[in-house]
Amino acid sequence: MNRKFLLASVIILSLGIDAFSNKSKDSIKQNIEKIELKNLSVVDYPSDKGNSIILYFDKDEKQKNFQYEIYLSTDSTNWIKAKQAKYDELSASNIELPFWMWNKKRNINALAIDVTKVFSLQEDDYFKQNPKGFSVYAKVIAIGDNKKYESQIVKGIAKANWFRVDRLNNLVLVIIISIVFFMIVSHAKKRELFIRKIAGLEAIDEAVGRATEMGKPVVYVPGTGSMSGISTIASIFILGEVGKKIAQYDATLKVPHYDPIVFTVAKETVKQSYMEAGRPDSYREDINVYITTDQFAYAAAVDGIITREKPAACFYMGYFMAESLLLAEVGAGVGAIQIAGTDVDTQLPFFFTACDYTLIGEELYAAGAYLSKEPMLVSALKVQDFGKFLFITFAIGFSIFLLIFSKIETSYAEKLLDIFRVR
Amino acid sequence: MNIIKKYIPLTIVFIFGIITLASYYVPHRASDEYLEWINKWENIVSAFALFLGMISLFYSHYKKIQRKVDGWGYSLFVYIGFFIIMGAAILSEGDISKEGKLTYLGWSFNNIYNPLSATMFSVLAFFIISTAYRSFKIKSFAAFLLFICGLILMIGNIPLGEIIWDKVFGWTKLTIGEIKDWIISVPSTAGRRGIMIGIAIGAAVTSLKIIFGIERGYMGKE
Repeated sequence: MNRKFLLASVIILSLGIDAFSNKSKDSIKQNIEKIELKNLSVVDYPSDKGNSIILYFDKDEKQKNFQYEIYLSTDSTNWIKAKQAKYDELSASNIELPFWMWNKKRNINALAIDVTKVFSLQEDDYFKQNPKGFSVYAKVIAIGDNKKYESQIVKGIAKANWFRVDRLNNLVLVIIISIVFFMIVSHAKKRELFIRKIAGLEAIDEAVGRATEMGKPVVYVPGTGSMSGISTIASIFILGEVGKKIAQYDATLKVPHYDPIVFTVAKETVKQSYMEAGRPDSYREDINVYITTDQFAYAAAVDGIITREKPAACFYMGYFMAESLLLAEVGAGVGAIQIAGTDVDTQLPFFFTACDYTLIGEELYAAGAYLSKEPMLVSALKVQDFGKFLFITFAIGFSIFLLIFSKIETSYAEKLLDIFRVR
Repeated sequence: MNIIKKYIPLTIVFIFGIITLASYYVPHRASDEYLEWINKWENIVSAFALFLGMISLFYSHYKKIQRKVDGWGYSLFVYIGFFIIMGAAILSEGDISKEGKLTYLGWSFNNIYNPLSATMFSVLAFFIISTAYRSFKIKSFAAFLLFICGLILMIGNIPLGEIIWDKVFGWTKLTIGEIKDWIISVPSTAGRRGIMIGIAIGAAVTSLKIIFGIERGYMGKE
């Protein structure tokens, strides 16, 4: 009797639970109401390669405690949740575009979405399959007041753009510098320009002379950068001038290389230097030696050369990383006169302490003009000075401006900072 | 001859310089594809240049061995090292590990190459001490400032230094951490930014000089 009662109770209870769960499902379905979000739009994210969109709609003060779920679809039937965010988290100021492209003060909810991430698409396939853009449907589900509201469905296209309007500030600066560059260079030959003395470059003669007197070699290290690096190009130019002096003095030069392309270029440069100095007979194929493209193996090999050959002078010009001190300290240990130059600011302190002379960043770039005394190259140094003058003027002027306007009207300060932001 | 040695290289530099500069302002996929294409070309040229470099390396060491110059024994290690690692790479078919086991190449990488690299890097610690000793010699006011800043940073980075500072200079109400942070974030950052601005402007002007064929040092002289 008890068993029958228990069985009947279980059946009734299970039916009751089932009925209740069906009811609750129905109640959720019923709870999803339609809502018309004002100005809900999907637009292409400007200045991108075509993988992003911006979804936005007007803010509604009544929805302050709401949460939003943003859904995307390629066919308006299968939806993928792209983002869940609170009312405050969707703001126009979150879109990282400059003021000339996007008004961050607009009272809207806005969100930038990378569609390749939402739909888990491989970038290569995505761009091949959608050359004219990627159509996407979007809807928003607003959750609040124990209810769900489903918005209207909107459509937009993520398209590839051909110009980065957000980098317009950068382009304007490049154009200004280019105009000044051409103006100064075109007037190059009209008058001689003064260049302040750079101790490190003045000391090259002294270093080469010392090597000649002592009958010891000069070691020139062009760094561990590739030929596409500006510092390596500057280094090759200095190598040409140093090579010419060494050829004139009939001293010995050793140039160990890290990069094979730099090696081939340097080989040609040194050969030309010897020819220009009228000493092609003194040129030897083993002046330039390729070592290895491994940082510490290269440092070990150059340290070995310095220790064994005990050079009278060492030049370290170009791009350097951790090997800078490994090389310069060994050079200092053998008593060589050392001249270094690099544009890597983290390595400059090591060269300052271990070398006799150090060219700081821009001095390295200026070295070619300084040594060759070619009017066109010398005049280009004036462009660098102009750039620095421009920067100092802006820095002082805008600092004052920011100090004043950040207290009065912050939007001016923000716009000004936007102009100088690198994107 | 002038056309081959001067005008053609200058034209190539100008065209590719302008396109590469423009690619910075073009977000389109075509811009990425162009840069990938250029990288491939650079790799191809590098491979040929590496071959030339290896010939140079072997030739110079062969000459050293042939002439029996001082330290010619070291030159033997260039050949020994090269052939051992090349042999290991061929036997291992270029793989570091197979089925979870280290190959000959992987073993030589882990047990020869890595310890040697680590040793070279460790030497740096000793060099930093010797170079710090040299730079802390107070010969001028600037050197004195450097010494003081260095001392504060060293004290600020060790807990014992903090305790000593609090005992001796606690009355100043300034902690060593605050002073250390100020040195790093104000004078040090200001100096670094000054250098960085100079470098950035210098790099931009040098790039223009190269693109427009004013600086031709990389081509050799005319």
